[in-house]
Amino acid sequence: MSRRLPPRGARFVRPQWAISIGLALAVIGFVGAAQWNSSFSRQEFVTSAQRVLTAQADSLQREQEQLREEIADAEARVREFQERDAGSRTAQERLNTELAAIRLIAGTVAVRGPGLVIEIADSTRVPAEGENRNSYLVLTDDLRDIVTALWASGAEAISIGTVGDPAPAPERIVATTSIYGAGSAILVNDVRLAPPFRIEAIGPEGLHDRFLANPSFLGRVGRRIEAYGLQFASEPRDEVVLPEFVGITQFRWGAPDEAED
Amino acid sequence: MAGRFAQLSLFAVAALIGILLVGQLRSQARPIELSSLSAQELSALVETLSGTNVDLSDALAALREQIRDYERAEAQGQSALQLTEENLSALAAFAGLVPVVGQGILIEMEGAFDETAVNDIVHELRNAGAEAIAINDVRITASSVATLQNAEIQIDGVPLGGRIEIEAMGSPEGLSSAIERPGGIKSLLAQSASVTLRVTERSNLRLPATQRDLTPTSAQPVE
Repeated sequence: MSRRLPPRGARFVRPQWAISIGLALAVIGFVGAAQWNSSFSRQEFVTSAQRVLTAQADSLQREQEQLREEIADAEARVREFQERDAGSRTAQERLNTELAAIRLIAGTVAVRGPGLVIEIADSTRVPAEGENRNSYLVLTDDLRDIVTALWASGAEAISIGTVGDPAPAPERIVATTSIYGAGSAILVNDVRLAPPFRIEAIGPEGLHDRFLANPSFLGRVGRRIEAYGLQFASEPRDEVVLPEFVGITQFRWGAPDEAED
Repeated sequence: MAGRFAQLSLFAVAALIGILLVGQLRSQARPIELSSLSAQELSALVETLSGTNVDLSDALAALREQIRDYERAEAQGQSALQLTEENLSALAAFAGLVPVVGQGILIEMEGAFDETAVNDIVHELRNAGAEAIAINDVRITASSVATLQNAEIQIDGVPLGGRIEIEAMGSPEGLSSAIERPGGIKSLLAQSASVTLRVTERSNLRLPATQRDLTPTSAQPVE
């Protein structure tokens, strides 16, 4: 049984789908090549212009971690001296009781209690053409508004950290806490944190419900969660544990008033 | 045969499109690694971290001095209660429990501002390194926030009125330049809510202690 060859010339006729796929592949190839080339040129640019700054920032971050560890150790040492002071026992006990109460209020001791956990992360939606990409990211104002809403809802202690492993220790919110952005990075107590963010708070019963109904939450950040699809979840917890604040508690530009009222 | 080739081609095209889409999605995500930050972002970060590390080094030096004082007192068999009292007083000042005196700025704020504007100024001052803040003689603690109660702005339960005075202790130059920088909070509030901020540097501020009882009822120290 012989196989018939197709008529001469017919072998060169291509079906319509093959032409479409060929064209699509050509476009994809062009875009892919352009992307490949641009990633190379970016790599070269990063290497030449940003390498020094990246190394500097990395070294400063490590130095900061080291300094904070040393401060925590030095504070623990000071505490030891205070607790075993050789002076009058009554005076020492009075002072230690007062110190413990003030440390609790100042946020320089770790605390535990009932409260809530909140997680917020950048949106997974792709911005439409011409839209501001930053609208889809968690911004400093979002974290500030959540903290404001928590305090207004009766929170007694708050910390902000990141979700993930490994993650830097959460930062306790105290009277001098700063929350601000340096480019796309968010710094809390001058420590760089990355999303997803985890906010934990301790407070009296009903804190979670009061927080979700608070105008400071429902205002800017609540609207942004709706509008841009920022990922948000929260739940009450029977117990959360927040770390102590490690940082500067001494004033440089002022001092306690000796003639206090 | 042709059908199989078509299937394979479609698979290849779909795979390529998928790869390109993932690449595009990744390029939309927030850069997390230091190496992915722009030169401008890195410069800002380096400046911030440098300043913070200087302050942290000073704080560590002060703590080490304290330890030396305690060691000296212990070696001489003396009580260091006075040192502990000074430490207690400094910590109470940090928490807002005692009045403080020092340098800083006074901000006079007038206009149709809301509670968010007040909270934003407090955040801006903290970011600029304010060590203590008071609004209309109400000491701002960690948990003090401006809220709208019965159609008036209150802070720690005290109504603020339409014109407020904010005192902030810290570097007078650093604080005033943070508030007045181009594109900063002063110009933002002027544009968005016709709010005027008048900033003056002061060398003799006195901020009161908080009147609130800040003792927590739910948070307990971890032993």
